[in-house]
Amino acid sequence: MPRSRIFSQPFAGSNTILIAMLSLKQPVLYFSVLLMTVFVFLTALGGGLFGQTGFWQTQWQHQAFANLCHQIPERSFWVGGQPMAVCSRCFGIYTGFLTGWLMLPLWTVVNFNITMSYKKIFFLLIGINIIDVLGNLLGIWQNTLASRFILGFPVGFATAELFSGSFFKKIKQKESYYGGITKSGT
Amino acid sequence: MEESQNQVHEETPSYWTSVGVAGLLFGIISFILTLIYGYSLINSEPSGSMFSPIMLIWLVSCLLTAFGGMVATWHYANQYDVVIKLGKGALIGFLTGACIVIVSVILNEIWHLIDPEMTQKMIDSTIANFEKMEMPADQKQQIIDSTVDSMRTNQNIGRQLLFGIPIMGIVNLITGMIGAKLFGKKEETL
Repeated sequence: MPRSRIFSQPFAGSNTILIAMLSLKQPVLYFSVLLMTVFVFLTALGGGLFGQTGFWQTQWQHQAFANLCHQIPERSFWVGGQPMAVCSRCFGIYTGFLTGWLMLPLWTVVNFNITMSYKKIFFLLIGINIIDVLGNLLGIWQNTLASRFILGFPVGFATAELFSGSFFKKIKQKESYYGGITKSGT
Repeated sequence: MEESQNQVHEETPSYWTSVGVAGLLFGIISFILTLIYGYSLINSEPSGSMFSPIMLIWLVSCLLTAFGGMVATWHYANQYDVVIKLGKGALIGFLTGACIVIVSVILNEIWHLIDPEMTQKMIDSTIANFEKMEMPADQKQQIIDSTVDSMRTNQNIGRQLLFGIPIMGIVNLITGMIGAKLFGKKEETL
């Protein structure tokens, strides 16, 4: 897992992103997952986005997520007068995953100083969400739509980041060596 | 070199057992949750609220069935100690998601043979709940009609599979890839 400095390299612009896209290792899988995630995201937005006016529970979007989410309207964001097909936490997870997946090429040129592996971060974030759910159920605290979304988003984002390096090769620029001392001394 | 690669390819064990095990396990979990929700709805007093305490069970189990893909790849990696490419993890995940929906739908159909009155009881209970709601009568009637209509049409197996498989498959595809990443042996070296 890469451990590097925060913004160890300046943002290299569209050329570097283009190089990163060209170095894509499994393009079919990457773009298939991207398309499917966009489909899941749009479906999760519910019938309100598509101007559906019928009772929300009868809409196909809600039926598609029926086995995956509780879909309680009080715990979901509303779009166009209709509750989304998933709760705010699940919506945060899907949004986070889509964002993270779209940003995968960016991590070939921009690095954060992360000393913990993405696996540990992933499980840590899931643990935090479980604690939040249990704390709310036991009446210790009251979470909100926004807090659930905020806690769900990093789970999805970290899930996508598990695949950083699986699709795009890390790009080492000459400039990144400037001012640094290498093992060979050059 | 090519021959040895072909041999490795031929020796790759089948993933169908893992797909079947995880699909069956999570399909049963999904079915049980639906059953608990259904009977709780039937036996609850109409409250006039969209949110009822029985829905709390879903809060704990939210996204639980999404982990079928991960469990399937874990089982596959654990059983055969093989390298799992991301693409294979994705395939195992998608098939597991489809399997979860199929198992859940089949069990639901079997249950309707055991208790044929269940759907009607659920419809009656839902109508009773809507009747308690404070809203204009014509709007209330419209909601009741569309809900009852939906509950009846949702019993169609083809419809359940059509709406269930794509989303469940995609979500499990992602967890299948996570499983390949977490439990597979050095995927990147391939």
